[in-house]
Amino acid sequence: MLLVQILVNGVLLGGLYGLMALGMALVWGVLNIVNLAHGAFIMLGGYLVFFLFTAGLDPLVSLPIAMAVLFLFGYVIQRSLLNLIVRSALLNTLLFTFGLDVVLTYLAQLLFSADFRTINPSYAGANFSVGAVTVPVGRLIAFAIAVALALLLYLLLERTRLGRAIRATAQNLDAARLYGVNPAQIYAITFGIGAALAGAAGTLYGIVAQITPYIGVTLTPKSFVIAIIGGLDNPLRIVAGGIVIGVAEAVTSLYLGPTYTDVVSFGLLVLILVLRPAQSLKIA
Amino acid sequence: MTKNLVIAAALSLALTGGAMAADLPSTITFGSSMQLTGQDANLGRYYRDAYQLVIEQINKAGGVKIGGKSIPITLKLVDNQSDNNLAVRQYVGLVTQDKVDFLLGPYASGTTIPVSSVSEKYQIPMVEGGGASPQIFARGYKYIFGLLPPADDYFASTLTMLGQLQPKAHTVALVTADDAFDVSVAKGTKKLLAAAGMEIVLTQTYAAKTTDFSSIMAQIKAKTPDIVLWGGLEPEVLNAIRQAKSLDVNPKLLMSFTVGVPAADFRKALGNDANDAFGMTAWLPSPALKDTWFGDAEKFAAAYKAKYGYDPDYHGAAGAVAVETLVKAIEKAGSLEKSKVRDAIAASDFDSLYAHVKFNAGGQVVIPQIVIQIQNGQVTPIFTDKFIGKPVFPVPAWSKRG
Repeated sequence: MLLVQILVNGVLLGGLYGLMALGMALVWGVLNIVNLAHGAFIMLGGYLVFFLFTAGLDPLVSLPIAMAVLFLFGYVIQRSLLNLIVRSALLNTLLFTFGLDVVLTYLAQLLFSADFRTINPSYAGANFSVGAVTVPVGRLIAFAIAVALALLLYLLLERTRLGRAIRATAQNLDAARLYGVNPAQIYAITFGIGAALAGAAGTLYGIVAQITPYIGVTLTPKSFVIAIIGGLDNPLRIVAGGIVIGVAEAVTSLYLGPTYTDVVSFGLLVLILVLRPAQSLKIA
Repeated sequence: MTKNLVIAAALSLALTGGAMAADLPSTITFGSSMQLTGQDANLGRYYRDAYQLVIEQINKAGGVKIGGKSIPITLKLVDNQSDNNLAVRQYVGLVTQDKVDFLLGPYASGTTIPVSSVSEKYQIPMVEGGGASPQIFARGYKYIFGLLPPADDYFASTLTMLGQLQPKAHTVALVTADDAFDVSVAKGTKKLLAAAGMEIVLTQTYAAKTTDFSSIMAQIKAKTPDIVLWGGLEPEVLNAIRQAKSLDVNPKLLMSFTVGVPAADFRKALGNDANDAFGMTAWLPSPALKDTWFGDAEKFAAAYKAKYGYDPDYHGAAGAVAVETLVKAIEKAGSLEKSKVRDAIAASDFDSLYAHVKFNAGGQVVIPQIVIQIQNGQVTPIFTDKFIGKPVFPVPAWSKRG
C-alpha cells in the first residue's frame, strides 16, 4: 500500500516536472537555445500569481494571465535581443541566457525580497482518499493542468498552420523560408510559448511548494534533465519524461533514502546519454 | 594647508597624549561576510539587520569606551551569495586587505565551520550567532565563540515536556537534513531519545534544500508514530508542513521543528497552516532580559520592529549580542590587541538582551531552548523547565482544524 501511495505521489509530481521542462524543450528543439533562464521564468510566473493571489485572485484564474504576460515577455526578449545571436555558436546563447538568469534572479530579490512566498488557496492543502491512498488535491490539479497544456501544445504543433511553421523552422530553415515562413517571427513566438509554459509551471509550483528568487537554481537543471530524457520533439513524451523522474525520485526516496534522489535523476540522464546517444544527439 | 595643520596638530596631540591613546584608531572595524543574496538570503538578512541596529545604538551611546576615549564602530559587511567558498575568501580578504579589527560570524553552521578556520589562522576573534553545530567548537579552536546553544540539545526541552504530558509519547519518527547543523541535531536527538526511553520507528535523512517530502510523508503515515521530530532549515520545514497537510499526515501527538517556527515570515508564508506547530527558540523578547544599550529585550524588539518592519527572532537577538560581546570584551581588555580581547571574550559574564552570556570551554553558550507553539497565528511560549503556557495537545488532525 505504501508503494502505491509513493507511486501516486511520484506520478503527480512528475506531471508538474514535465510542465516545467515543456517550455525549455520546445525552445531547445526549435531554436537550438538551451535557455538557462528558464527556471527564472518559472520564478517570475510564480511571483506574478502570488501577487495576484494576495490581491484576491484565485491562482487558477491568474494562470492564463501569467501565461499571457510571460508570453509577451519571452516574445520581446527573443525578438529584440536573442534573435541577434540565435544562429551564432551555442555558447553565445548560453552566455546570454545565463546572464539573463542572473539579472532576473537578483532583480527579483531587490524587488520582492528573499521572503518565502506561498500561493495557498484552500484547495492547496486539501486531499481525498481512494482506498488507503491519499490524493493531494493541489498536486492533482497541477498534474491535470500539466497534461492538458502538453496536449494543447501537441495539437498546436501538429494541427495548426503556426505549429507546422514552427516545426518546419526547426527541421529545415531554408525550406521553411522558401515557403514564406518568417523565422524571426516564428522564433519569437516559440520563445514566447516557452516562457508562457514556464509561467504556468510557476503558478502550479507556488501552489505545491514555495517561491523565492532562487528557485530557478534547482528548476533549470531539473527541466534540462527531463528535456533530454523526454526528447525534444514531442510534448507528450516530455510529460512522460517528467513522470519517469518523479516516480524514480519517489521510489529512490523510499528504498535508498531521500539523500539519493538527485543521484538517481542525474544518473538516469547519464544512463540515457550512454544507451541512446544517437537519439540524444539528433535532438540536441 | 589648513587641513594639514589640523592633522599635524591632532597628531602631535595624540603623540603627547600618552602611549595608550596613541595606539587607538579613530574607528574600530568589525568585519562579516553574510548571505545577503542566494538561497539563504532570507536568514542572512536577520543578521545584517541586527548587526546594523546594535552598532547604530552603541555608536549613539558614544561607541566603544577604551582608555578614557569613545571610539565608534564601523561595520564592514560583504555579501557571500550563500556560497561557502566565497565566504572563506571574503573573510581572508577582510583580515588581510581590509584589515578589520574583529570578526562577526556568517549565518548557519555549514558556513561557520569553514570560516572559523580563517579567524583561527589569523588569530582574530570571531563571535557568531548563526552556527549551532558542536562541530564548530570541537576542533580546539581558540578564536571562535558562538551564541547559539548546541544543536545536540535542541529537542531536550521538548522531550522533557513530553515526559510531563498525557498521553505519553512512545514512538518517534526522526527526520533530518544532511547539513552540518542537522547532522548534529540527529546525533544529539538519538541520544536524548534513548535516555527518554522512546522508540525510533523511522529515521530519514534527506539532502539539504530538498523540496519534495511526499515519500517521507507517506512513510510517516504508514508508521503512525506518536511524535515527529524534524531537523531542517526553514524552507524545508515550510514544504514539510504544507505537504503533511496535503497528504493528511497526522502523528498522534505532535510535530516539532528545530527551525522556522519562531520566525515572522514562517507564519506569514503558512497562514493558518502554521497553527499548532511546535518548535523552539533560545530567546523571547522578555523585559526580564536586561541590556546595557537597549534597556531590555522587549525594547530591543520594539526598536528592531520600528526600523525594519518585522519582529526579530532569536537569530536577530543572537546577532545583536555577538556585537555586544565583542564590545564588552574590548572595553574589559582596555585594548585592541587580539589575544587580550580573545581572553576577555572567553571570560565573558554579562547580562544581555539575548541571554546571560558565558561561554563553555569550547566557546559556545549553553542556554536552554524554550518550547513554543503557534496558536492563533502567534508564537506562544509553552515550556522551559516547567510549563509557562498551555499547549494544544495532542495536536488535532488536519481535518479537525479550523
